[in-house]
Amino acid sequence: MGKRSGSKRKDKNKVILPPELPPEIDDDEVDLSDEDIAFYATDSSNVAPFRRFDKKSIDRYVGRVAGRDEGEVERLYEERQKRKATESSGKPREDDDGLEVDPVDALPTKTLQGELVYNRAKKARSEDNTGGVKSKAQENGADAKQSIKKDEPKGKSKNKKGDDNKVKNIQSQTEVPKGQLHSNVLEEVKEELSAEELFEKKKAQLAELGMAMLEDPESNIRSLNDMLSISNDKDQKVAKLGLMSLLAVFKDIIPSYRIRQLTEKELAVEVSKEVKKTRYYEYTLIRCYKAYLQKLVSLEKQPHFYTVAVRCMCALLDTAPHFNFRENLLASVVKNLSSSDDVVRKMCCEAIRSLFINEGKHRGEATIEAVRLIADHVKLNDCQLHPDSIDVFLSLRFDEDIGKDETEEEKVKPKKNKRWQKNQEVPKQLPVNDKKKTRQELISKAREEVDVDLRAVSFTLDPKERKRIQKETLSALFETYFRILKHSVTTSNSRTKVNNVSPGGSHPLLTPCLEGLGKFSHLIDVDFMGELISCLKKLSGYSDRQDEIPNDNALSVSERLQCCIVAVKVWRSNLEALNVDLQDFFVQLYNLILEYRPDRDHGEVLADALKTLLWEGKQQDMLRAAAFIKRLATLALSFGSAEAIAALVTLKHLLQKNSKCRNMLENDSGGGSLSCLVAKYNPEATDPYLSGALASVLWELSLLEKHYDISVSSMASNILSMANLNPTQNPVPILNVNPLEAYRDLSMERELLKPTSKALPLNLKKRRRGKEFVALSPDVLQKADCSVDKDELEEKLQSHFAVLRGISENERLRAELNHTLSSVNMYKDYKKQKKKNMKFKTGRKKVARV
Amino acid sequence: MAKKLGKKARKFARKNLQSAAKRNRKIRNQFNHRRGPRRGESLPPTLLTSAPLFALPVRARLQGGLIESLLELVSGGSAGREDGDEDVPQRVHDSTMVTNDEDATLIHGLEFPEDDAELDADLSDSDGYLSEDPGCPYYSDSEDEKADKDCIMEDGLDRQNDDMNRDIKKQKKKLKKLLDKDPEFANFLEKWQSELESYRSNKEDSDEDGMDSMDDDDDSNDGNSPNAKVLKSKTISEWCLLVSKDPKSPALRNLLNAFRDACRYGVHSDGLSMQRFQNARVFYQIITFVLSESDNVFRALLEIQDDANKGKIMNLRNSKKWQTVDPLLKSYLRNSLDLLSQLTDNKILAFVLTRLRASVVLFSAYPSTSSRLVKILFRLWASGDQSLSLSAFLMIREVSSLLPDCLDLCLTKSYNTYLGSTKLVNDRNTKHIYFLIDCLVELYSLDVQKSYERAVTSVEQLNAILRQAFKTKEKEDLRKIDNWQYISCVNLWVRFLCCHYKDYNLHPLFSEVLQVIRGVAHLFRGTRYLPLRLRLVQMLNDLSTCSQMFYPIPSLLFDCLEFREVSQKEQTQRTKINFSSLLKVPKNLLKSRDFQEECVLSAIQVLSAHFAQWSYHVSFPEVATIPLFLLKRLHEQTTIESLHRPIKRLIDQVTENKDFIQRKREVVSFSPNDKASVDSFLQEEKFSRNASFTRFYASVAENCQTKGRKTL
Repeated sequence: MGKRSGSKRKDKNKVILPPELPPEIDDDEVDLSDEDIAFYATDSSNVAPFRRFDKKSIDRYVGRVAGRDEGEVERLYEERQKRKATESSGKPREDDDGLEVDPVDALPTKTLQGELVYNRAKKARSEDNTGGVKSKAQENGADAKQSIKKDEPKGKSKNKKGDDNKVKNIQSQTEVPKGQLHSNVLEEVKEELSAEELFEKKKAQLAELGMAMLEDPESNIRSLNDMLSISNDKDQKVAKLGLMSLLAVFKDIIPSYRIRQLTEKELAVEVSKEVKKTRYYEYTLIRCYKAYLQKLVSLEKQPHFYTVAVRCMCALLDTAPHFNFRENLLASVVKNLSSSDDVVRKMCCEAIRSLFINEGKHRGEATIEAVRLIADHVKLNDCQLHPDSIDVFLSLRFDEDIGKDETEEEKVKPKKNKRWQKNQEVPKQLPVNDKKKTRQELISKAREEVDVDLRAVSFTLDPKERKRIQKETLSALFETYFRILKHSVTTSNSRTKVNNVSPGGSHPLLTPCLEGLGKFSHLIDVDFMGELISCLKKLSGYSDRQDEIPNDNALSVSERLQCCIVAVKVWRSNLEALNVDLQDFFVQLYNLILEYRPDRDHGEVLADALKTLLWEGKQQDMLRAAAFIKRLATLALSFGSAEAIAALVTLKHLLQKNSKCRNMLENDSGGGSLSCLVAKYNPEATDPYLSGALASVLWELSLLEKHYDISVSSMASNILSMANLNPTQNPVPILNVNPLEAYRDLSMERELLKPTSKALPLNLKKRRRGKEFVALSPDVLQKADCSVDKDELEEKLQSHFAVLRGISENERLRAELNHTLSSVNMYKDYKKQKKKNMKFKTGRKKVARV
Repeated sequence: MAKKLGKKARKFARKNLQSAAKRNRKIRNQFNHRRGPRRGESLPPTLLTSAPLFALPVRARLQGGLIESLLELVSGGSAGREDGDEDVPQRVHDSTMVTNDEDATLIHGLEFPEDDAELDADLSDSDGYLSEDPGCPYYSDSEDEKADKDCIMEDGLDRQNDDMNRDIKKQKKKLKKLLDKDPEFANFLEKWQSELESYRSNKEDSDEDGMDSMDDDDDSNDGNSPNAKVLKSKTISEWCLLVSKDPKSPALRNLLNAFRDACRYGVHSDGLSMQRFQNARVFYQIITFVLSESDNVFRALLEIQDDANKGKIMNLRNSKKWQTVDPLLKSYLRNSLDLLSQLTDNKILAFVLTRLRASVVLFSAYPSTSSRLVKILFRLWASGDQSLSLSAFLMIREVSSLLPDCLDLCLTKSYNTYLGSTKLVNDRNTKHIYFLIDCLVELYSLDVQKSYERAVTSVEQLNAILRQAFKTKEKEDLRKIDNWQYISCVNLWVRFLCCHYKDYNLHPLFSEVLQVIRGVAHLFRGTRYLPLRLRLVQMLNDLSTCSQMFYPIPSLLFDCLEFREVSQKEQTQRTKINFSSLLKVPKNLLKSRDFQEECVLSAIQVLSAHFAQWSYHVSFPEVATIPLFLLKRLHEQTTIESLHRPIKRLIDQVTENKDFIQRKREVVSFSPNDKASVDSFLQEEKFSRNASFTRFYASVAENCQTKGRKTL
């Protein structure tokens, strides 16, 4: 590619028109080239739906001379490009292996490297935002001006054909050197022009250019180059503004199709002026777009421009996932998915999510690319990424039947085909002669062509293609998931006993991975199932040795609970046909309940585990059910109301399903009523079968009835009322939700978001004004009575008096002293005055004498 | 006492003495207007002795206003009235100091709006001087003249005064010489003096505009105080005798006048009233007699009983009797207030308050005087001294129960004063704050209906702050909760609920408070906030006890019982951590041994309180299951030797009680759904309070009390 672009540069000196498109050769498109020619060959009305600006341009460029004027513009561009090339050759080219970008993409442009101000990054960003708004406002302001300008050339174009172009060129000529002038003479002018004025000027210029672009992209397409040059400005603010305005322009003018490179053959064919013009437009657009992307990629490495560049890329990916260079955009965005900068990460996640959700924009091709890129990314980084980078997978959507067997579908398909064929065949079999057969073929061929055209237009994929893409996506997705799981298993096993407290500390990707596995569990291939389950078992911390403390696992409680959830979900969504014993997971849950800590672990995961494992399941083993019932009741006594209600909902459900366990509600003399292996309940048992829970009585519920939370206490009494009912009867349900919902309803977050209820006014029956003390203890009050004894009081009062007297005495004396002192001092003044008087007198005497 | 003063302090005092007292009063009053009284009127004199130390407390009290604290320093140091039993100087390096300091800068908006409009109507309408009956004897013999000097000369200013006397003599001699030398100089001097005089009077006029009303009014009145007769001890004794024999005796007027002068003694440096008191004994006699007897005297004069209430007084106001007594009474009350704002010694203040308490009902006739009284009282109440606070509070309570229109003011003021004094919490004032809470609850239980409305408003405010913080999660909003004022406020209402839950239907308030507590606990998780959390758990324990509802305390304590790594390096320096004056643990202490220790010990304390509450309940074994499990694990894992014993002890006790309950419930026949039986289970044992766990808990609680880790 690098070579090619180099040759392109050389070529430019010779060939001006038709322009060569950037190297974007796609196999599909090469195939389609014939058709494409036909496309352009047809009259403009055919093209019109794709290009909204065509008509306007036709009006204007009726007869365009591709001669001198064009050449001038081209020369200007080339000069700049050369300059860039020489500049870039002086600088070391940055290596970028992780990114498979065209080396040209990585070209450092004329940059502001010298001026990087790192610590101002944040501030500048906010300034940039306001700047953006300002420039918009200015754009609006410039609107009027622009319209006048626009009208002028229009009027002229009626008179002379080439005039329009001339005017344009003059304009662009004056603008381009201006930009150069600015950059060159900046140092000299600095003293005269304040930076602010410059900034304002450039902003205005940007706004003008942008407006012109939006007004009429066809004729103003070359302004893109000017804007690009502005975004090269040394002033970082200006550069940012330039980037943002370019983004806005591109967002607006990027066509809804992919621009394809013309083949040699096509180039050779003589085409109409109109087509030439279109080609030129597309060529310029794509070239500028490429330059812009290169710029973004290079700027992304500069901390000052980091967020801006990523924002631009995300926005572009969001609006134009179908357009050329999508791969480069994707690569950058995916790389930034695990950025340490929260803002950047969020933007990237949003961009990728919208890519997944709005597959219509790009026919799902971008999805598979993105998923693959993420998979590679995970692989490269050895699963040490930010959870968000995997989290985006949760927005993926798959068709319901994607997981079904190929064969099954094939079975269905032929049927359909047959029916269709039958319908077709009825008329087919009637005519026998070849002529008609060939004609039929022709017709079907034509139909196919039309179909292809239609598809190309409407962006719909045929189901097969769609299925293929989805399958690939799915396999890449699960590849990632399994990689993470495997990685977690290997590292957690190698780790020594660590008391893990922070969730997801060592396996950042595990939580979203498990979530994803739970979500897509119905799509997992049966072949993987066994391995997956054993993997999960290991991860959930289960060990065959019962006596071991289950805490030697590096995973957090939430993660282990999630493992259990995923295992059960996987098992259940595969028709429960899998021959896996899930007993271990239940044992694990039984023990994990005790490990759960409200603030450290996610309560929702616990509630979800209760829901998935216990609430949704079918009838449980009686012993196991009893053990869980007892443990849940105990849990409810020690944890907050949200956990308690989730436990109680589950408990009630278990009691309903396992009516024999209702014996636990009653206290038969001599302990539990049912005989079982263990006669005495052992609350600390790790195995639910050995806990002997059936022998216990649910005394907890009697205390839970006094729970401060009204829903918990009413639930407890509701459960207790089961004791009086027949095994087949169930009490009136008071809370018809699953444990997870119940948990969420009572969680603190929900409660604090509820509107405040006005406290009712207090209606006192008795209005008491008590004289007796309520809060103060009597011994404190006693202290007040034994007041100061007389002698002490006397002494203190007297000393108080003495102090007061001393002070006033002091005051008085000081005043007197001051007074006397100043009087003594006055003597000097007096003497002076006296002297003066004397002099005066003598003077007067002298005067009198004279 | 003044001998303790450092050299520098004395110098300082000499320089600023003249104006300090005056300005101090003025400014203190201004502050009182704005933000209620502050505690810690004076700082230990030792702080004055070295310059760097001097700067530190000032910084610590920045929020209290630099000037104020400076002035307090000055007045405290110069006057030398420090009590020997003042607190030791604060350790300024205390790490808690810094955090508290930050907290204190928060302006909260929790306070009730206060109406500062004042009725000065009857403050200025009279000069307080009572015309005397000339028939009363004045003795002029000076039998105890000789005892005169010695009691005065105890003062440290004395030597200085002597020096000054000598100086004056010297200078006067010099002046005289000059005058002798040049007679014309005398004329010159005279002229200059008259100029000076006129200038000074002008200046004083303009100065006085800004003065407090009290000073204002006194200054203008001083001129027309006609009586300058010197009071002798014998005279006073005679008067006292007369008055106690017959309350209607005209000597009462003289006595009250003398009392007036005594109360204003030293406030105004005019010679007249200064000269009236021959010596300290006279002063003492007047004050003690008037304070201790006047209540009886006035009651006798007005013929009212001990149980007189406001209505009676108001009725009396129109009677003829009142007309004669009114000026006397007014003079007495107002002068007592003057005395109160004048005095600085806690013991004397307490004494005056106790005396004055008897005649609270008489204040009802003078609304503005009573509002001034309330202001003074709250200042004294918030001051740190225990007995003074108590006597001030008893007086406040008396005022609010006897004068219904003062109740609102008192409720508002007490609440705001309380909030003001909880801005800064440190090891020393925690006890005082608990005392303040108790007082407040006491005051708020005078009229529960009224208080309930206030409580609801306050708790709603708390809730709104909590929700706001929860929504935004911004640091600023979080800081509004993570400070002492907020927590103390919650604490106050918890205490209020605890006292009244049984008697009134306070459930709406109860649940609201509960939500606030839970919300705060939810919002501030993490090890750093463990002290805050423990405090909340204590509140929950209290609420649970008073309402007999079950609250799962253990879920909030798991953090404390979790084994954590302890850094080994800090063995050398042991920092004392006291959770009672902390909300947030400083980061550097998170891994320290002491922190861990304190965590576990506090957790044991609150946990055993929780267990104690349910120790007779039939499901006690289940209540204890999970905590016991954790305790056992902690016992195995912890590396801190000193924790082994207390943990083991708790485990043993809980296990014992668990077995006890299990044994007992094995023989009963009722089922968990039999509510009545469940409730009656082991009730006898509960009342006898003989079970081992109850005793254990009592010992734990006692232990904590002595250790200073106070339960609420």
